Amino acid sequence: MMIANAPSRNSTFELEENEGERFIETLYPWRRRLWIQQILRWTEYGIIISMICACFLLLISRFIPWSTAPYWAIGIAIGVLLFAVGVALWYRPSFERSARYIDTQLALHDRVSTAWEMRDDSAPISVLQRRDALQQLRKHAPAVTISLRPGRVRLLLFGIATIAIAVLILVPNPMNTFLQQQAALQARLNRQLAAINQTRLVIDNQAAISPQERALIDKILRDALARLQQSSSQEQAQQSLAQAQSQLNQLRDPQASQKAQARANASSSLQNSSNASISNTGKALASGDSKALNSSLQNLASQIAKMTPAQRAQLAQQIERAANQGQNNSQLSSALHQLAKAVADGNPSEVSDASKALETAASQDSANTASNDSINQASQSLQNAANALASTTDSNGNGQNASQTQVTGQGQNPGQTNVPGQGQSIGGQSEQNNTNNNSGKNEQVFVPGQVGSGSSNISVDGNTGTVQTGNSVPYSQVIAQYSQTAHDAIQDSNIPPDLKNLIQDYFNSLEGRH
Amino acid sequence: MAHKSESTSPQTGVETSNEVQFEAPNQHIANDVSIAESTTETEQPGVADIEMFMHIAQQLESELCSIVVGQERVIRELLLALFAGGHVLLEGVPGLGKTLLVRTLSDALELKFARIQFTPDLMPADIVGTTIVTEQTDHQSAGSRRVFSFQPGPIFANIVLADEINRATPKTQSALLEGMQERTVSVGDATRPLPRPFFVLGTQNPLEMEGTYPLPEAQLDRFLLKVLVRFPNAKDLMQIIDTTVGLQTLQAKQVASGEQLMHLIKTARAVPVATHVKEYAVRLLLATHPDQEDAPDPVRKYVRYGASPRGLQALIMTSKVRALLEGRYNVSLEDLQNVVFPSLRHRIILNFDGLADGVTSEDLIETIVEETLTS
Repeated sequence: MMIANAPSRNSTFELEENEGERFIETLYPWRRRLWIQQILRWTEYGIIISMICACFLLLISRFIPWSTAPYWAIGIAIGVLLFAVGVALWYRPSFERSARYIDTQLALHDRVSTAWEMRDDSAPISVLQRRDALQQLRKHAPAVTISLRPGRVRLLLFGIATIAIAVLILVPNPMNTFLQQQAALQARLNRQLAAINQTRLVIDNQAAISPQERALIDKILRDALARLQQSSSQEQAQQSLAQAQSQLNQLRDPQASQKAQARANASSSLQNSSNASISNTGKALASGDSKALNSSLQNLASQIAKMTPAQRAQLAQQIERAANQGQNNSQLSSALHQLAKAVADGNPSEVSDASKALETAASQDSANTASNDSINQASQSLQNAANALASTTDSNGNGQNASQTQVTGQGQNPGQTNVPGQGQSIGGQSEQNNTNNNSGKNEQVFVPGQVGSGSSNISVDGNTGTVQTGNSVPYSQVIAQYSQTAHDAIQDSNIPPDLKNLIQDYFNSLEGRH
Repeated sequence: MAHKSESTSPQTGVETSNEVQFEAPNQHIANDVSIAESTTETEQPGVADIEMFMHIAQQLESELCSIVVGQERVIRELLLALFAGGHVLLEGVPGLGKTLLVRTLSDALELKFARIQFTPDLMPADIVGTTIVTEQTDHQSAGSRRVFSFQPGPIFANIVLADEINRATPKTQSALLEGMQERTVSVGDATRPLPRPFFVLGTQNPLEMEGTYPLPEAQLDRFLLKVLVRFPNAKDLMQIIDTTVGLQTLQAKQVASGEQLMHLIKTARAVPVATHVKEYAVRLLLATHPDQEDAPDPVRKYVRYGASPRGLQALIMTSKVRALLEGRYNVSLEDLQNVVFPSLRHRIILNFDGLADGVTSEDLIETIVEETLTS
């Protein structure tokens, strides 16, 4: 271990001017090269890290429904890359750091960093040290020493990241289907929300309903809208709709149909009278025309004084018969009884009082009917929404969220989709306000609440259908829907009034049987 | 006690004759022109000084290596301490040439050499000297009178070999303390400076521990370096045969005087040290302390006391010398890593766990160097 050869020892030692500045000038190209290397290196790392981040996000999106994951991945990748490049540009290597780097790279034993620190020192040994550092430094070139080629590790990482991101992009994401379903559900929900809202506005503008009932119906519909908006699945939406329907059913007068039937019977009986005033009274009752009723009753009152007792007795008998026909509508029946008695007595003041009572009963009856119609309308709107949600889901080909009954239409119910006795909207055309013609076409019938494995055939007015497997729906919900549908069907104006009771009795007997 | 006293050097400033009465206690201190203890800024060494350093150092190393075979590392570390102005503790089994090395060094440097064989009955006065009563002729009265005069001990030499230093009692060992640190000797009420340069080389045998008195930490800390003298390899042993048992006897040439050596010490001190190198030295030193945050786990577990600030001085000074010996004008991190073992190995005091587990300070220093960041 002998002493190493001393560095260059010039025979003459003179301190030259600006030696420190010359040293800095020598360091400049090194620092520039080092900066370029830093920018490239940070950029390479930025690319690799951004790709890894993008891979990570895309990977997450395969386990968690995240529709905007690709955009986030692109955004974060660009952000990381820009950050890396920005940092590299911002933090330019200092001379001190450059000197340390050169010392390490060239194994100069801290010559350059010491010379940099002592650049302004004029002590002979510092000058010697500086010259020695410069001499050593001049033996090397920045372009050779500081390589700009990417390292193997970075290349390997880049390759791995590229492959990973390519796989994640090319292999279909299983979550996309789910996201599409969610989007479709949301779109359907939005459509149904608009439809229900429209119904709500219509009901709000109906003057025939009392403000209290209108407010109640409005509240139920608004609650249903709110719950629908928060629904994240079709099951939740259906439950919300069923709940709203159930609440609407509670507003319904259970005797409404009987009262309406009684009124129809009474008016029909009055119309059969030979007396024109009584017949007009019957027509006015049937049509709910209060003015016509008032006019016919005034005519009747004016005729009473001119009639013989026998004629009044006959007329009273006809009115009494009508009152008996409408006995299910107690108020109307009572008013008719009162009118019959007044007519029989021939007392004009009694006839006048009885006429007022009859008008009041008719008016009350009309109001009840209007309220019931509004509830029916709201309920029907909700039912349409439920059917629409179920049908669209099924048409997407999933066949899992609703039972499906495929009916081969025989053209027996042209233009009519509400089929009495089926308890459900038949034909699945509710979204189109039941105006579709199913003649000669295959139509889908959805029967919520029916769960079946395999298939079964049902008969729909001569049509046959297949019930497919579906999700479970609460029994109470199904019963409520069927009950409502049955009620609506019975109240259909196309059904003759005298048959309505018959149909009602039939369903009552069925209910009693079960 | 084997004690060789050669002719009195004019540099010592110590009277060896018996003519002197009581000397003024601080007289010699006032006259001292020590560079090391000067508080004023000294003149910067020039190119010629540096060239002279490299020339003399190279010659001296060549001379030592030609005579002491197979101990190049020991010679290098000895020179590090010599040019740093510090003392060396040599540890090795007998027969490895420790005494030969020191004698050759004194021959090559034209310095006064003294060898003190430490034994249990050695007294401090045997080292530092004593005051004796002498009879002196009075010319005026033509009679004689008795006066006290100081008889300097063997410590009043430039190179003192304290052979088997751990065989003396702690009291005797401590007689070296003042001389090693202050370069003075206090006897009675007089403080006398030691000759310059003053270089103590202590030796101790690691095998025969019975009847020895391990050096106290304060004494150990005063040695700049602790050098381990290893057994030479086969090739070196062959060369030892050729050079020592033949007819030819090798004699070292004188390459420098004591004054030149003092100048070289001053030159070495001028070597610049960059801040990051100093910071690394500080980190190395702090890492030897178990209560420091950056101390490695083995240090926390096995060390009772870490190195003192003298260890840091030793690191930097010896690194400066090494830089010049390596042909550089600056201290590098590699210099520090090279001198950290001899500089700190005797300054790290192990605890009971360390001693029980057979951990050595070398192991710990190796861990410290591995775990201490260079930047």
